[in-house]
Amino acid sequence: MGEPKDKIGLKEYTAIALFLIGIKATDDVPAMLFDSLKNAGWMGPIISGLIAILPLFLLLDIAKKYQSKNSIDIFYHLLGKYVGFFVLFLLWVAGFLYIVLDTATYSDIVATMYFPRTPAFVLYAILVGVSAYGAKRGLEHIGSVSWAVFPYLQATLLFAIILTIRHGNSGFLFPIFGPGEWEVIKESTMSVSIYIDFLYLFLLFPYVKSVKDFKKGTWIAFFIALFNLAISMVSFVMIFDYNTAMSLNYPYHEAIRSITIGFLTNLETFFFPFWLIATDIKFAIYFYINIFLFGKLFKIEHFEYIIPAFATLILFLGLIPESPTFSVFHMRHFFGQILSPVFFFLPILLWVLANVKGEMRK
Amino acid sequence: MMKRLFMKSKKKQISPKTDHEQGVDPDFDVTLEQFKKAYFYPVNTDFTVRNLHIGGINKRAAIVFINTITDIQVINEFAIDPLIKNQEQNILIEDIITIQSMETKNTINDATLDINNGNAALIIEGESKVYILNASNFEGRSVEKPDNESVVKGPKEAFNEKVFTNISLVRKRIRDKNLIVESSIISKRSKNMVYMLYLKDIANEKLLDNVRERVNALDTDAIQNLSLLEQYIEERKYSIFPSVLYTERPDRAVSFLEDGYIVLLMENSPDCLVLPATFWSFFHSAEDHYLRFPYGNFTRILRMLSFFITIFTSAIYVAVVTYHIGMIPPDLLLAIAATREKVPFPALVEIVLMEIAFELIREAGLRVPTPIGPTIGIVGALILGQAAVQANLVSPIVVIVVALGGLSSFAVGDISMNFTVRLIRFLFIFAAGLFGIYGMTAVFVMGMFYMVSLKSFGVPYLSPLTPSYQSSKDTLFRRAIPKEALRPGYLKPKDIKKR
Repeated sequence: MGEPKDKIGLKEYTAIALFLIGIKATDDVPAMLFDSLKNAGWMGPIISGLIAILPLFLLLDIAKKYQSKNSIDIFYHLLGKYVGFFVLFLLWVAGFLYIVLDTATYSDIVATMYFPRTPAFVLYAILVGVSAYGAKRGLEHIGSVSWAVFPYLQATLLFAIILTIRHGNSGFLFPIFGPGEWEVIKESTMSVSIYIDFLYLFLLFPYVKSVKDFKKGTWIAFFIALFNLAISMVSFVMIFDYNTAMSLNYPYHEAIRSITIGFLTNLETFFFPFWLIATDIKFAIYFYINIFLFGKLFKIEHFEYIIPAFATLILFLGLIPESPTFSVFHMRHFFGQILSPVFFFLPILLWVLANVKGEMRK
Repeated sequence: MMKRLFMKSKKKQISPKTDHEQGVDPDFDVTLEQFKKAYFYPVNTDFTVRNLHIGGINKRAAIVFINTITDIQVINEFAIDPLIKNQEQNILIEDIITIQSMETKNTINDATLDINNGNAALIIEGESKVYILNASNFEGRSVEKPDNESVVKGPKEAFNEKVFTNISLVRKRIRDKNLIVESSIISKRSKNMVYMLYLKDIANEKLLDNVRERVNALDTDAIQNLSLLEQYIEERKYSIFPSVLYTERPDRAVSFLEDGYIVLLMENSPDCLVLPATFWSFFHSAEDHYLRFPYGNFTRILRMLSFFITIFTSAIYVAVVTYHIGMIPPDLLLAIAATREKVPFPALVEIVLMEIAFELIREAGLRVPTPIGPTIGIVGALILGQAAVQANLVSPIVVIVVALGGLSSFAVGDISMNFTVRLIRFLFIFAAGLFGIYGMTAVFVMGMFYMVSLKSFGVPYLSPLTPSYQSSKDTLFRRAIPKEALRPGYLKPKDIKKR
């Protein structure tokens, strides 16, 4: 494996990006937003999305300017050898911690919502094992799997949301601004880190067939993900009202427990495997990007060989927090607030430097 | 020298001919003796030597051949007869013999090759070459209906064990000078020939080279037929997924040829190999395209459904009954619980027991001699179904679940893919027994990662679905025939437009 041999196409890239961000509607991100935004929680992804357009646009502009260059080299080129290394290293550390916390959250979802009697360690190990296997197969194959299963997963998500909305009460959406306009904007700004995955995806742009495809894919994924997040949060408010939605850690999984069609009363086991497929693929991508970055930083050519070691490390780190439903939730919340300004300002910094340096060269 | 030669040939009794690299001796007796030695005459009873005297030019001659694989009538009528009756004195041998085709060989070794292929060798006094008369006639059956890939609508010819018949069946469908039949010898001892068919102006050169290379790199004594060759040239020999398509229908082979695929044919193989193969080529059947658009796609849906039913029903039953009882509507749950009440085994054991029983019936049904065939039905249906339930070994619902899965597996027509599906089913059953739906999903995702990473002669297994290529998008569904205007782009054909 090592570096990807074949480049991935538009469809595959878009699916990858959607898996990273779209699936956040089903973990505890909605809970975080409901916490501060009350019933206006669904505006969170929209407003922070609007804010995210700027850094996203700048990132894509940089990619266009340096299309012949490697993404890692762009950092070195713009920030200098030492600062560049330092920034990338921080990005890697952040990504690594993010994976630890995220895997802990997801295995906690499985453990608390579906398999309360199975040891958490086993569930966690399977999750990490499957994702590590996927990561080891390489970017092209992750892309292929993503695209092959994506339409079905999106369809089931929409199906679940439609059913939820059907059971819901649209009156719960009002007052539309919840705690107040200013509060909504302020809190949403702090959660712009929902979209930070695009910063990591930026590292992969040389492996997408063309920069044009990369740009197109990014925007498509961005808007579909934004739509998914917003519409699913609307459905959660409608079915639970904000008081319950605030106290639920994993509203999606509670929602699919509450919905019914005809004589089928317990649909969660129907939706669960689809969600799980998405989860496994998402972490395969996370693993891959993180280890790719690590390999680039420390000049490891065949970085796939460190995947098993990394997976084991992540597994044991993720098992440390006691009662993850609460502790990891708070850590993630805190972490997200730190990363938000990073996601916002780093692209701006890069873009300004790119322009200054570009002019100097001329 | 003869002594040494004899000793050597005694040591390796089976291939004395490898020691006959030298040219043909003009001395008639020496040459004839060499042939006799090579074929252990007269121990070898079907090796025939016919001595004769050519009239007119007044020379001694002999025709040697293996009479079981040679058309004796042809030799008699077009070679022996004219040679003996010849009166002219200044005439070439080529002009005396009226046989359809003949050639000359300069070494004993080359000549024996032809003799082994059913031709006759004519040795003439004073000449340092041997005339080869084309008269081969191997016994075999005639063109019959396909056994494994039967269709309701469409041609009903199948390949048989004679390779020239098979090539002729292909040529009958493609009357084009660009259809090339390349041949090469692939085994050292049995000298098995493989014929590579492709369309010169469509098939990709790199792909051709790749196949040629792989076929010629074989270093083995004998490869009897294509089923064995398949296992020599496939990339992943231990993989659960097949990577070379095996079909007995000439019409199917031709439709692949026309798309730029390569077809391999061999003597003694009532079938052909199509390379490269994708998942879809195993999934499709010949009839999909013969049926009209809606009907063809309907069978495709059914087949996909049966794919999933075969792989998942038993596993889902195990998972649901063991871990996700809440999923079942209460009435059904009570019904299942009532039938399971008396069964002493966990659901996993129950299912595995019945699955194995079903596989046994299938395997035994294949091997059983026809006269006692109906017994299998009685044993299978009555004893394993009815009696097992009455004895409280399994619950009735398990019989339904397993029968449904087993029945569906027959809808997967391709033999290799059929095995794949049946084996994967067990993987899922065990995963479901261990971790319920969670385990099944884990196996599914890993399986997907594995499947997309497979390649058959450089072509990704799931293409053109992913990675996507320019093509007619003939994957799960097919399009209307006039809209299928492109050849599959993953083969990189020289001419991608069909219409």
